Amino acid sequence: MVASDLILEALLNGLLLGGIYAVAALGLSLVFGIMDIVNLAHGHMLMVGAYVAIFLFTTFNITPIIGMIGAFVVLFALGMALQRVLLERVVGEGIEQPIIVLFGLALMLQSIGRIWVGSDAQATDIGIPGEAIDIAGATLSFPRMVTFVISILLILGTWAFLKFTTTGLAIRATAQNNSAAQYMGIDTDNIHVLTLGLGTGLAGAAGALLSMLFPITPFVGWSYLLKAFAVVVLGGVGSVAGTLVGGLILGVSENVGVLYLGGGFRDIISFSIFVLVLLVRPHGLFGSSGGGE
Amino acid sequence: MLGSNDYFTGLFENRRRTVAFVVASLALATIPFTTTPYVTDIVFTGLIFVMLGVSWNLIAGYAGQISLGHHAFFGVGAFISAWLTTPARANLPEAIQSPLLVAVFVGMLGAGLLALVLGPILFRLSGHYFAIGTLAVAAIIQLVLEDQRRFSGGSTGYYVQNSMSSEVIFLLTLVATVATIVVSYGIVNSRSGLGMRAIHDDESAASSLGVNPLKYKLFSFVVACAMAGLAGGFYAQFRLYVNPESTLSVTWLVDTLVVVILGGMGTLAGPILGAGLFLSLDTGLRTFAGEFATVIEGGLIILFIVFVPGGLYKFLADRFGSEDQPSDADQPAPNEP
Repeated sequence: MVASDLILEALLNGLLLGGIYAVAALGLSLVFGIMDIVNLAHGHMLMVGAYVAIFLFTTFNITPIIGMIGAFVVLFALGMALQRVLLERVVGEGIEQPIIVLFGLALMLQSIGRIWVGSDAQATDIGIPGEAIDIAGATLSFPRMVTFVISILLILGTWAFLKFTTTGLAIRATAQNNSAAQYMGIDTDNIHVLTLGLGTGLAGAAGALLSMLFPITPFVGWSYLLKAFAVVVLGGVGSVAGTLVGGLILGVSENVGVLYLGGGFRDIISFSIFVLVLLVRPHGLFGSSGGGE
Repeated sequence: MLGSNDYFTGLFENRRRTVAFVVASLALATIPFTTTPYVTDIVFTGLIFVMLGVSWNLIAGYAGQISLGHHAFFGVGAFISAWLTTPARANLPEAIQSPLLVAVFVGMLGAGLLALVLGPILFRLSGHYFAIGTLAVAAIIQLVLEDQRRFSGGSTGYYVQNSMSSEVIFLLTLVATVATIVVSYGIVNSRSGLGMRAIHDDESAASSLGVNPLKYKLFSFVVACAMAGLAGGFYAQFRLYVNPESTLSVTWLVDTLVVVILGGMGTLAGPILGAGLFLSLDTGLRTFAGEFATVIEGGLIILFIVFVPGGLYKFLADRFGSEDQPSDADQPAPNEP
């Protein structure tokens, strides 16, 4: 039997990890909810974001907390370009085209990553001093606490942006009814470009945060795509609050599961939860309906 | 359901195409005896891609269900056939040791059975959810195999032994490839094929007309996955090596997608044309572009699906189409891979 303080530690660390998972999934969820596109390259964009942070850290010794901004900007630009150049041409022609375009892009990012940085795992360090804290015998590591706080701030920021700004209002209107939004004078094409940029930018930021906790290789993309999608399914498509809850659930179940089954099962656990939730509630635990078709 | 000859009459109506198909198959049969092992190896890979492409096309191109888990069924077929010809390495009882053909056949059945079990669960999902769901299931299958080192050999891989020469295995693979094409042709032109295309075009409309979507989806999924397992079984026996990382790698799915999309989704000749094109391209690219080959292939999928969505087959048919082409789907497969 596993000791109870170990369980508490796994639980708390799982919650902290879940915060980052929520950020990793937030962009995917927004793009799916607003544009009805599953960004199959989301995990690979997260990987690119992580490498931007790793580059800034190893070359200029910039902490990933600042490097995150660089990762966000790079991926924001990449996302906008992707929508303008490719996705605009294929959306609305059935689901095959966007799926295959993004699949091809994921493959390209992975191959370019392997050529440029090699297959060896790399990671960053938080780069600022701090102490781990003890809660009832459970040790919480400092980087995890910091990344958790940043994750929550990012999620709150995204929520506030969608809720209180005019652009956010336009994005929500476009999500509800594209044509109606157009009649109200919203340039929905631009809104889509912006939304994809925001979604991929968040993937970049999440990648920068993850580089502090887990080693990054060019091949982590698929794994994080599936984890992010698991969170989306748990939380409901397009729901910011649901994404946070979904992320926390995934983080906790992974960490507690690993305690009982061993480290090799981390990904098996999250993918299985994902498949199970899909089967029980195809539109998520908290969502009412998504863009399934 | 394939018992009736009606489904195959179209195949023999157009003599020119039939003759071309037979001649091409016979020409391929001489390859291991007339060329170098290097060429034989490349053509063998081509045959595997034809099987993977034709089968994925059945579920994705005809039934319209984008499965991103095809590589897992290929890998399952490969591992089952490896276990059956070489049980000792996995500490399996010697009693299950079987001849190559039995092993490959059981591999095909195993992959089909797995699809039959997973299908009803996965088809509760549709569209994007189905695509991602199949990707997740394939990842789980791969992770479980990687974790079970005793059965999969882990990262060292699993060496396979059998008593047949590679020339014979090549010929058997060729026969299996031809069978895959002919069976696909039969299915596409049967009632089931009509049902599959109906749910592809409009699932609710088909459903309201009495077509049971689950039945046709499941049928195409099981057949396609069994074909992938068949390809995997021959692959394991020809290469004499399987590895949970590379044999179940998503690369197989990528290559399958390239083959089908280059050639033309939802056409029978498409994947065959695509496999030929992909193979020459891939071999050429690896010589000239080296490790950038995969990057270029990823780019090619994107360019083709955006600018030539019908694929090479449709492109050629539009340019040089003869008058005897009623529709893409009815075409037999005369082109040499």
